Amino acid sequence: MSRIIVVTSGKGGVGKTTVTSNLGAALAKLNRKVALVDADFGLRNLDLLLGLEERVVYTAIDVLAGECRLAQALVKDKRLNGLFLLPAAQNRNKESVSPEDMKKITNALAKGYDYIIIDSPAGIELGFRNAICSAQEALIITTPEIAAVRDADRVIGLLEAEGIHKIYLIVNRVKPKMVEDNKMMSVDDVLELLAIPLMGVIPDDERVIIATNKGEPLVMGDEDYIPTQAFMNIAKRLEGEKVPFIDLLSEQDNIISRLRRMFGG
Amino acid sequence: MVVDPKLSLDWSSDTPVSPLVERYSQIRLKQEGDSWFLVLPNQSELEGKSSWSELWQELKHYLQGREKSWQPRTSVSLLAQDQLLDVQQLQTLAEILEEAELCLETVVTTRRQTAVAAATGGYCVEQNKLSQLSLTPGLDTTTTLAEPLYFNQTVRSGIELRHEGSIIIFGDLNPGGLAIAVGDIFVWGRLRGLAHAGAKGNRKARIMALQMEFTQLRIADLVARSPKFPPKTDQSEVAFIAGSGICLAKAVDFAKTHKFSEQYGIWIDR
Repeated sequence: MSRIIVVTSGKGGVGKTTVTSNLGAALAKLNRKVALVDADFGLRNLDLLLGLEERVVYTAIDVLAGECRLAQALVKDKRLNGLFLLPAAQNRNKESVSPEDMKKITNALAKGYDYIIIDSPAGIELGFRNAICSAQEALIITTPEIAAVRDADRVIGLLEAEGIHKIYLIVNRVKPKMVEDNKMMSVDDVLELLAIPLMGVIPDDERVIIATNKGEPLVMGDEDYIPTQAFMNIAKRLEGEKVPFIDLLSEQDNIISRLRRMFGG
Repeated sequence: MVVDPKLSLDWSSDTPVSPLVERYSQIRLKQEGDSWFLVLPNQSELEGKSSWSELWQELKHYLQGREKSWQPRTSVSLLAQDQLLDVQQLQTLAEILEEAELCLETVVTTRRQTAVAAATGGYCVEQNKLSQLSLTPGLDTTTTLAEPLYFNQTVRSGIELRHEGSIIIFGDLNPGGLAIAVGDIFVWGRLRGLAHAGAKGNRKARIMALQMEFTQLRIADLVARSPKFPPKTDQSEVAFIAGSGICLAKAVDFAKTHKFSEQYGIWIDR
């Protein structure tokens, strides 16, 4: 039984594509067969983040037009067994695809893959509708900022209206130090408002940006990094494993802050 | 009919501003005796507001959150008013109702084209029956309130609840969410969005919440925004109209300490 999961957020720039690429890689590492579908027609990025841009030959549009078979359009990641990408067309816009088209594609993929992860575009217009129409589950990405959280709330409402009730939250780009100093919303604040189960917390880390620019998902590199672990944990939780959340604050601990806490400062 | 909006920057212009209380329409489900009716807003009410897809969205939210007080496969009559509906739209509507275990059976309309579409779609059609029904908006709304609307979900950003009676929300009213009631509003959770009670001018209406963290409150034609630094309290509070405008008080004591003065149209201390 394959799972069709949409990664969405409402607001742009909160890390949908970064999460999609890393989650795909993490699930592939857990020996799952994963198809990543870029639903951001006209503004595709997923191939860049995966470092697969130069290997894209056909796109989803070609498949729908009958110009190639689905299997030909799928780009296989050579670094990780089981990771595939279905690229979006860059020279078209969102209107060139309909929800029915997306359903056709995902249903076909469902026959051969354990996970189909759809990277949704920002916004709540047709592109978003295309991305969610065949999904059974949704991962909401937000950052601890009011605008992002507000948009996430709106999107959750829309998903619920469409009958998608398995909705999970990933809070991205958390800065534990700022939260501690009361300068940033905490994960609890976000959860209290959105009231959906938490699937993962990813700390703000420059290595995520470096990995993005290199076109190699962080998960493919060193496993000791906290963001890498955070992505791996999300994959394990999706698989049904109970994994405790990483205490981000303690990871940043140093002697001084520990002493300060000891003396009640 | 399309109204040309006057886009004037002149503050002193005496263009009449439509009062908040009149911007009011929503698709709604009503029970009369054993029969259920789905009422569409009429064309003038819907004007400029929403496209059909927005209306369907609204209906889906409404049916999902609403307390289900009907039996599975209950049949529903659609009061389509003067709306023009084609076969496709009726089909969509029937599908949405289906999800809530309701079954579209009859279409009541004043438009010939809608009647033809309904007949084509295989529904019973009743034409021009509207005038005999007390359900037409405007007839029953001024005096009697509809049954309270129980809403069992969080009202999220972008969701609008509008109801001809009182609204009771089991959950939070989130920022960006909107509840508009002709009667009172009770939020059994946090009120962080916008609530408008007494939306047809009833100054007696109250808004109660377990926790008041609203962005804006409206009662009748008065508006209050949240203070810059709201005082933290764990008490549940009630908002009402007093001499100085919309006020907040502790909800537990309110019934004992306040009474409504019909003479002044405000709540006063007992």
